[in-house]
Amino acid sequence: MAGLELLSDAGFRADGRRPEELRKVRARLGVLARADGSAYLEQGNTKVLAAVYGPHEVRGSRAKAPPDRALISCRCSSAPFAGGGERRRRPPPGGGRAGERAMLLRGVLEGAVLTQLYPRSQIDVHVQVLQADGGELGATVTVAGLALLDAGVALRGAVVAGSAGLAEPPAGAPVALSDLSAAEEAAGGPRLVVAAVAPGGGQLALCQLSARLHQDRLRPVLDAAQATCRGLHAVLDSVVRARLRRDTAMEQ
Amino acid sequence: MLRTEKVLQLRGQQGRAVRVVREHYLRPDVPCRSALCRSAQCRAACARDGKLLSDDVTHYVVPDCKVVQEYLEILEFPELKGIIFMQTACQAVQHQKGRRQYNKLRNLLKDPRHDCTVFANEFQQHCYLPREKGESMEKWQTRNIYNAAAWYHRHCLGQMPVVMVTEDEDAIRQYGNETEGVFVISFKNYLDNFWPDLKAAHELFDSIVQARRERESESQENHGKEYPEHLPVEVLEAGIKSGRYLQGTLNVNKHRAQLEAFVRLQGFGSKDTELQSDILIYGSKARNRAIHGDVVVVELLPVHEWKGRTVALCENETEDKAPADTTGDPMPTGKVVGIIQKNWRDYVVTFPSKEESQSQGRNAQKVLVTPWDYRIPKIRISTQQAEALQEYRVVVRIDSWESTSLYPNGHFVRVLGRIGDLEGEIAAILVENSICAAPFSEIQMREMPVSSPNNPWKVSPEEAKKRLDLRETHLIFSIDPKGCEDVDDALSVRALPNGNLELGVHIADVTHFVAANSYTDVEARARATTYYLADRCYDMLPSVLSADLCSLLSGVDRYAVSVLWELDKESFEALRVQYTRSLIRSAYKLEYETAQALLDGDTSVVGDIQELTGLAEETRQKKLAELVWAISRLTDIARHVRARRDRCGALELEGIEIRVQLDDKRNIHDLIPKQPLEVHETVAECMILANHWVAKRLAEHFPHQALLRQHPPPRQEFFTELRECASAKGFSIDTRSNKALAESLDRANDPSDPIVNKLLRSMATHAMSNALYFSTGSCPEEQFHHYGLALEKYTHFTSPIRRYADIVVHRLLMAATLGGSTGDVKDNIISNKDLEELCRHINNRNRAAQRAQKQSTELFQCMYFRDRSAESDERCVADGVIYSIRTNGVLVFVPRYGIKGAAYMKNKEGLVISCPGTGSCQWKPGSLHRSQHKITSTTTTGDSLTLSLFDHITVGILVQSSRCHAETIRLEILRNAPHSTADTAAAHRSPHVVRGELVKEVSQSAEEAQRAQDTARVEVLDEESRQFCQTKGPSLYQLLEEIRELALLDVTQDGRT
Repeated sequence: MAGLELLSDAGFRADGRRPEELRKVRARLGVLARADGSAYLEQGNTKVLAAVYGPHEVRGSRAKAPPDRALISCRCSSAPFAGGGERRRRPPPGGGRAGERAMLLRGVLEGAVLTQLYPRSQIDVHVQVLQADGGELGATVTVAGLALLDAGVALRGAVVAGSAGLAEPPAGAPVALSDLSAAEEAAGGPRLVVAAVAPGGGQLALCQLSARLHQDRLRPVLDAAQATCRGLHAVLDSVVRARLRRDTAMEQ
Repeated sequence: MLRTEKVLQLRGQQGRAVRVVREHYLRPDVPCRSALCRSAQCRAACARDGKLLSDDVTHYVVPDCKVVQEYLEILEFPELKGIIFMQTACQAVQHQKGRRQYNKLRNLLKDPRHDCTVFANEFQQHCYLPREKGESMEKWQTRNIYNAAAWYHRHCLGQMPVVMVTEDEDAIRQYGNETEGVFVISFKNYLDNFWPDLKAAHELFDSIVQARRERESESQENHGKEYPEHLPVEVLEAGIKSGRYLQGTLNVNKHRAQLEAFVRLQGFGSKDTELQSDILIYGSKARNRAIHGDVVVVELLPVHEWKGRTVALCENETEDKAPADTTGDPMPTGKVVGIIQKNWRDYVVTFPSKEESQSQGRNAQKVLVTPWDYRIPKIRISTQQAEALQEYRVVVRIDSWESTSLYPNGHFVRVLGRIGDLEGEIAAILVENSICAAPFSEIQMREMPVSSPNNPWKVSPEEAKKRLDLRETHLIFSIDPKGCEDVDDALSVRALPNGNLELGVHIADVTHFVAANSYTDVEARARATTYYLADRCYDMLPSVLSADLCSLLSGVDRYAVSVLWELDKESFEALRVQYTRSLIRSAYKLEYETAQALLDGDTSVVGDIQELTGLAEETRQKKLAELVWAISRLTDIARHVRARRDRCGALELEGIEIRVQLDDKRNIHDLIPKQPLEVHETVAECMILANHWVAKRLAEHFPHQALLRQHPPPRQEFFTELRECASAKGFSIDTRSNKALAESLDRANDPSDPIVNKLLRSMATHAMSNALYFSTGSCPEEQFHHYGLALEKYTHFTSPIRRYADIVVHRLLMAATLGGSTGDVKDNIISNKDLEELCRHINNRNRAAQRAQKQSTELFQCMYFRDRSAESDERCVADGVIYSIRTNGVLVFVPRYGIKGAAYMKNKEGLVISCPGTGSCQWKPGSLHRSQHKITSTTTTGDSLTLSLFDHITVGILVQSSRCHAETIRLEILRNAPHSTADTAAAHRSPHVVRGELVKEVSQSAEEAQRAQDTARVEVLDEESRQFCQTKGPSLYQLLEEIRELALLDVTQDGRT
């Protein structure tokens, strides 16, 4: 069988999207009553759930707690039924891909949360991938940002992450693809994941590129990834606002 | 934009069905690309790329998947306009027809001259229909395409009729009248109605239909395929049982790989096979895709179709020569009807050079590569790196061989090295023999005990208590080649108080360090033997064991397994025997030459014995006297044991061993035949004795699961050539039993020409089958016999460092002697079935090791002669002896270098050789005449040259280079007279001199070059010689390196072996 064609001559991707189109996004806030903040996000068939506990006092040894800011602890996991090949084998020491995601997520959140407002306290963020279909890292970061918003933790801005890849048709110029699906990730091209804090400002909290990419091609891919972030932000922003309208009596 | 999901059942990596859910987005704004379209949304989308379907055609045509796949060539006609390719159809082409066809379709769609377009119907929200449960793929595709065609018609507001062409009769009936303005007809109908004048299209259509029909009928009738299909397994099994088919292993004749192959039958001698020889498979059609080494099922052809094997000398390059006049007597001939087991492995190949690849045509994606092994057919590789890989030896694997394909398909695996480069060629030899000798892994090394200069390994006191301590009581010493590091056997002899002698053979206790099924054990089992190549070796065990802890070096305590005999003082009959684990300290590590000198009473070599230096003169003399006494006692014992074996008919067979002498830069300096010493034989005889007694003990204790070594008696028909050759010199060889053979070989001695006897012995060696390991449970006791050594039971026990069989035997012996007192001993016993499997593996590996060694020796020989020619270099001219006559040449043995090779008397242009007087030979037109013992060439000018068996001639040695294969040595006849120099005279006299004389001769001329000698006697190809030369360690990288050639290079034997 011929290899997967990322972009057909007619300009469609394998699942019918155009290069710049995102997958269908659905989000809900406050799905878990016990958590201080929680969120659920669907990006196509990728489904993730996040819960935030805190800020609360540091548990365990207090010596670990930084005196001037909050400690953010992140745990990421993948449901056994999530698919995507993560649960096939026992994860390697260090936590495998989920462990890597937790580390990256913590880096992003430490940049996004105004930690100095919560000295000697701890914020726990738990994210679980319920169904994996590409872009798990991006969805993890995005849903964690939503859950933090739901918990009312002070942020520099909304946290959104998105991915982009590059289709190189045999003839013609390469085209950047926004928001890769699992099939497109598996096709082996480059994949760039970008997390932005307050997507309007152009600040990046995370930038991860897998596979080699010529520097001339980086710009369009990076632009596409940022466009993904902006697009996601637009959708999520309306979700958050709708939630606010419903929950508070501020309006009228 | 709507979102739906597609659920696909795909095959996962392990072949399981995997459920995959893919998103599928539907949208309203799919461009229709028709100039007729008035919809604004569509217009905007279409504006992106220019090509639009014109509006001045009478109709639009929508081909079905099947039509696009089969009749794309017709759709390419520029006259056909207004074609809409549906996305569904395009994807079907992509998935089912492959990349080439799909690219053709894509180019067609892009071509602005063609009035056609693609419509992404599956992404259009009104066109897409999900596949229903139970609906076949084809039905769904047709339904989808029809639906899209109908939508298209509506989309264009009915301005243009749409014709859907399909080959599906049901669809024509079902959809034909469903929508007004959308017609569903067959492609033939379409062409007839709409394009009646387009002759070319009709003709093309007919030819495609015909080609398709032919293909279908071919697949039904097996017609037009390159090869007939193999029969199903049940048929084969039934056929074998009923005796209709025969099963065996395919051996391709290396020298006529295109044509001749032989099948050696399995279960030979069973009730229903009266065949007394192999079955000839003539031609590649009859071979039917079987590759050398496969286990195949053959059907015999009727007797009038039987053919004879070719007896003319021939080169591999020459393809099908006229075989008519060169064949021998007809022999059973058959054809392959099925393959039971494919023994495909990694193959070393060479890509065609630039000139060749151009002639292969412009389809550069598929390259026919030539395997290094002549017996393997060319392999078709698809790669784009063909040009870059031209200069390299490359490893490939065969993937499949379809019956429609002349050559097998394969893929590229890795690069070994440049052609002609020593490392690359050695790597090629390793791969060809499936030898994997990677360095030992960390996990294996971790199992090893620690021994470093700072922290040397010590005997543990608990272990010492369990063992018989021989450190103080016995004088133990080892005799090995110079520079050896892995000493796995040591000897001792002492007089007992009652006057009897006690002989001890002490073997390194490897099993103490290598627990059964440990990582090291598993690795050693996989390797099965240490591999000795001409200039290096690959150890079976990590060097910490082989060169240190298990090596019975002098002056250090070592664990050993000892066999101790009490021998009668007069007759040397064994009275008592004891097998035990022991703790020994070897007193001397002697070299063969030193031991021989001591035996001969030559005390000048005392200085060479390190252990004796630095002692007071008196103690030194005393110790020396003890040692000399021990060596001479040993020799006495060995002579007696040998004589006893000789009475039973032990064979002494001849092989010529060549040592490669390398200079500092590891260039080949010289090739030197090895010289035997009596001490070699003494040591060997002790080892044979130990092996024999251990075998007896094992066979008693484990009647069904002991690992022994058998040497089946040879088939009589293989001796035919030997008998004929001997009769040329007037000798008669009696081959009925090993005793008769040994005696008649001794008698067949021409006093004037010692080479004759040597050649006859080597021919006898070749007629023998190989000795094999076997499990006692797998064959009846009378077959345990060892033909070559004339012993009823034999095994390998004495070299556990470099043979895995010995490790198994050690474990068995421990289990037998300790009586299963400890628990873990029980685990070491392998069941008969597993042992059989293990034996097969070890036998295979041994054969691979021998082949690798032989091939590496040939490699070095070729490298030695490569840059020299007979004119410029005296070393390339040597004396040769004719040992076989063929129709167009003779086979010649060169004693000086131990080379056997073919010399032609008729060259490719049909000229024959002639030797006017004693001058050098010339090629002239003429004819050849062959009789039984001689061959005569007669030129048109009347000169004639007669060569008979065992004539001495002068030959020039040259290397025939070959790009794709190993280089080979070629001989050419220079003069019809012996080549005599002092050098060659010595070389062919020495092996034949009576042994005692020889010993003196050699010990007197203690040349530097002759020190690191090995033995020159090869018992039954490899049997005992393994034991003498066991000790080649890493020191082989040094200046003087030795090699041993197990079998002579003989072109006639390869079809069989």
